[in-house]
Amino acid sequence: MIQWLAFLLFSLLAILSALGVVVLPNPVYVILSLLSSLIAIAGIFFVAGAELVGAIQLLIYAVAVTVFYVFVLTAVPWEKALKKDSHYRIEGVMSFPLLLLMYLEVLIVFSLGISASPKGQIIQISKKFGNTEVIGSILFSKYFLVFELVSLVLLIGMIGAVIIGRKEAQTYDSDTP
Amino acid sequence: MTAIPLEAYMLVSVLIFGLGLFGMIVRRNLVTVLMSMELALNAVNIAFVGADVHLGLADGQIFALFIIALAAAEAAVGLGIIISIFRLRRVESTDEITDMRD
Repeated sequence: MIQWLAFLLFSLLAILSALGVVVLPNPVYVILSLLSSLIAIAGIFFVAGAELVGAIQLLIYAVAVTVFYVFVLTAVPWEKALKKDSHYRIEGVMSFPLLLLMYLEVLIVFSLGISASPKGQIIQISKKFGNTEVIGSILFSKYFLVFELVSLVLLIGMIGAVIIGRKEAQTYDSDTP
Repeated sequence: MTAIPLEAYMLVSVLIFGLGLFGMIVRRNLVTVLMSMELALNAVNIAFVGADVHLGLADGQIFALFIIALAAAEAAVGLGIIISIFRLRRVESTDEITDMRD
């Protein structure tokens, strides 16, 4: 009962905050709404019994990534941006059927994929030990290569971000109207 | 007292993923487009964890951890691209970036 109550609360909060991410006009309000949604999603993880993922969601997403976004939003002088009216309003409305189609596709993938999956035995081990120990033992045995690959991806992402974000010697302001 | 069924997790996940997708299509500010992408990634995480609870596995949670790590890398590279677009072109809207289309 309490599990359902918590789940419904977190889900409602996450969905309402996600709605705020989509509809709010000011980017600062949007980042606050995203933060609320991320925290509610961490709550959903806790209700589901995935304590490690929930804790990392709070640590990495709700703290590190959000602060990174806030840093970009405040450090870049957006008021110097060229303001122009949108010329793609009708095209935005016209993309709705595609959106519904993607919805349907995701639904089909989820339902079919889950009904085709095998039942696992790891829940017995998970009851004997904690959730974190089970994840750690699987992560460092079965998925060790993937773990190393993720570290490589993070390194490449860091190098790419430094190279892309560095100051260019010459800008193209002169040939833009 | 029953456990939460898989359908509930999937419903929440699909709703949030749809909102993120909607935001990616509709929003015009580049940074908010990236934030909507984070929302969609989180929806996938909910689906992974919910399927884990349903199946009694732990693999989905590991994949959720990988998604979180990749989302951090994606945020770094994406925000770097946005900053360099702003520095080169002085625009913050997706409507103005049409150089590779025409």
